Amino acid sequence: MTYFIAQILPYITVTVFVLGVVYRLWRWAASRIVHNITLSPFPQTKTEVAGIYLREILLFRNVFNFDRPLWVGAWPMHIALLNVIGGHVVGFYFLGKQFVYLGASEALSKYLSNLLGTVFGIILLAGLLYLLYRRIAIDKVRQVSNPSDYLMLLLLISIVSIGNFMRLVPEYGMHYEPVKEYFTTLILFQPAAIPEGNPFFIIHLLLAQILIMILPFSKLMHLFGMFGMRWIENRVYKEPAPGLPNVDVAAARARGTGLSSASSTDVA
Amino acid sequence: MPSINVNGVEIEQDEDGFIVDPSLWNEDVAKALAAQEGISELTEEHWKVVNYLRNYYLQFQIAPMIRKLCKETGFSLKKIYELFPSGPAKGACKVAGLPKPTGCV
Amino acid sequence: MPEYKGLKMPAKASAEEMRQIHIEPVPDDQKVEMAIQYLDEMRKKFRSFVLAMESCVKCGLCAENCHTYLGTRDPNNIPTNRAELIRKIYRRYFTLEGRWFGKLVGAEDLNLDIIEQWYSYFYQCNECRRCAHVCPFGIDTCEVTMIGRQILHWLGIVPKLHASVGAAMERTGNHTGLTKPAIVDTLEFLSEEIKDEFGVDVEFPVDKEGADIMYVPSSADFLLNPYTLMGAGMFFTYIGANWTIPSTITEAGNFGLLFDQQHTMRHNFTRLLHAAQKLGVKKIVWGECGHGWRAWKMYLPGMADLPLRWPITHIHDEVAYYIRTNQLKLDPYKLGRPVTLHDPCNYVRACGLAETMRTVIRACVADFREMYPNKENNFCCGGGSAILFDDPEMYQLRIKFSQKKAEQVRATGVGKDGNGILCAPCSICKAQLYPMVEEHELGVEVKGLIDLVGMALVWK
Repeated sequence: MTYFIAQILPYITVTVFVLGVVYRLWRWAASRIVHNITLSPFPQTKTEVAGIYLREILLFRNVFNFDRPLWVGAWPMHIALLNVIGGHVVGFYFLGKQFVYLGASEALSKYLSNLLGTVFGIILLAGLLYLLYRRIAIDKVRQVSNPSDYLMLLLLISIVSIGNFMRLVPEYGMHYEPVKEYFTTLILFQPAAIPEGNPFFIIHLLLAQILIMILPFSKLMHLFGMFGMRWIENRVYKEPAPGLPNVDVAAARARGTGLSSASSTDVA
Repeated sequence: MPSINVNGVEIEQDEDGFIVDPSLWNEDVAKALAAQEGISELTEEHWKVVNYLRNYYLQFQIAPMIRKLCKETGFSLKKIYELFPSGPAKGACKVAGLPKPTGCV
Repeated sequence: MPEYKGLKMPAKASAEEMRQIHIEPVPDDQKVEMAIQYLDEMRKKFRSFVLAMESCVKCGLCAENCHTYLGTRDPNNIPTNRAELIRKIYRRYFTLEGRWFGKLVGAEDLNLDIIEQWYSYFYQCNECRRCAHVCPFGIDTCEVTMIGRQILHWLGIVPKLHASVGAAMERTGNHTGLTKPAIVDTLEFLSEEIKDEFGVDVEFPVDKEGADIMYVPSSADFLLNPYTLMGAGMFFTYIGANWTIPSTITEAGNFGLLFDQQHTMRHNFTRLLHAAQKLGVKKIVWGECGHGWRAWKMYLPGMADLPLRWPITHIHDEVAYYIRTNQLKLDPYKLGRPVTLHDPCNYVRACGLAETMRTVIRACVADFREMYPNKENNFCCGGGSAILFDDPEMYQLRIKFSQKKAEQVRATGVGKDGNGILCAPCSICKAQLYPMVEEHELGVEVKGLIDLVGMALVWK
């Protein structure tokens, strides 16, 4: 079983993920933008359009403006998630010494790497639990939820909980070096067995792979969907020039059009 | 589809009570339609509105602008609502046998 | 009021009425099969629709931002749930996860009950696009409503109101069924009214060949909104324009946008281009109509099947231009009443008119008070997409849909002394708000924006 999870499944996971995402994006791209449904006020330059994208992606501005209680959970959760995913890649690749490039000592870098991982891991878990709470306890959110919406949150919560557990309980923790070695062998298509035989790591790895395989067939594609939707709705639009043909207001007023003294047929 | 029987003639109405074929209208039909609107008796003032609408419709195939109706009959809009509680379009026009107005009205 | 398993729904057009708009109603036993086929066609065509089907994460943000949910608290009026009525069918037939995992991901077989639910809830949506504006991803539930209504139309299920408007448009060139003699008669009457009230001579030229400007008013103005027509006439006269109103398309609206974006919408577009060519005009200026302006401004360029040789602008843009260039003399103190502005949804979220309207209203009104939220954040009047049904139950819904608007108007205080003006420069907003300001006892009178321009013009 461990052999399957660690040495075979990863290849299936990557294949399903890549093909799934390509299939889904292809399906979206096959349809067209038929009408101009740009939202106004219209951006006047591409820079303004980019500004809309950025403020929504980086700050969740709409969520902040129109549903503050949601923002309180959603924004930190996503920022933490981004850092946790980034942390996994960078941390393992540089073995925790990534901050050396920013001028820290090796020890400090490892310390920072651990600290940030722990902090973001906890924020992520708290955010996910808060979102689950909303889905269960708040009427309007419960009313829009499908079973899969809960399952998705539970899956994420499981993965993050196990990750946090490994980080916080040193006996079950994983060191950077063996994990890096394991992934290196995976990438070289000579998969080695999982080091140290840590059951929590195996479950963590399994659940993460399930998540990655589900992703292309789920609402987690919303990152791409957002770009797709905003690509349609936030684009440059220039107004046609105002001003009416053959109209000379000053002359008309001098003539007194509309006033009884002027001839009503006397128009330009 | 509802209908109304006036002097032995069955007159078809739409869901809102407007008669389907405006050419079947006569004064007895107006009285019967008014009764459905909860107007027990058509007074001279009612007739003034109904006749104006009817004549305008025969000439132009449409109801007049409400402002014109008020001006020509000399009644304020409030007065017209007193005479026809569902208002000029849905009350008065219905009694006068006009088709139901369409569009953003 | 047709009843169907407790669903609220407007009266449906009869088979005969559907035939007048060129649709042969699909028999009940084929409806499900045909609906799936139409849905398949739509999803292959419209990316905005596909993304709305596939990108929602069900965060629930849209709920409290939709006035129909705020007014009714009906879970199916939460924008994402309204879309879910189609989304669950879409998943079932067009996605792997829906085919394999069914109920788990919220996928469902289509049946007649769900089609009736579509009819009920897609005609409770005002297509105001506030949900698109507030959605973190920009998911436009209005696109889902529009496609739902399109499929219903092809099945032969359209409200009587919308179908009769489609038929009237084809018959007469306008939604209310005005004949040319009626148009001329009403405009002559308004010339007299202008003379009486403002002491100026204004003529309304109809079908004048060789005019420079073709002004397209809303046909509802001819029945309900005298000051809107009067204001436009006074503006064009004041600036000495050579203008005309076409009798073959006396209609700023385009109900095609609301129930049939294919045949009906295109038919109206073609009619306009024919009229512009025949009269030989140089520019087309649009009257006060929200959904219509969206259709003509944003949809026409992509759908016209003839070369589009005329620039089309909105009368507010033109008035604002002459105000900004100091060519109009307006006296904001003439009116002497407090005014607040209801932003028509299509103007502010689809056509970019928010600042334009403010340029105009500030020049015409001394006591102008904003309502909040406003501009692109505004709430709909509750009549949007012409759900102006007047049978008792649907009318009650309209009152609920306008609840939020009523709160907003009250908070401005313009109606405190009973002499306020609620400026709502769109024919649907006007038709909705005329009765609603009475229902909610707001102490305001509903007027358009051009109405206020006409009243504020200084002629000498």
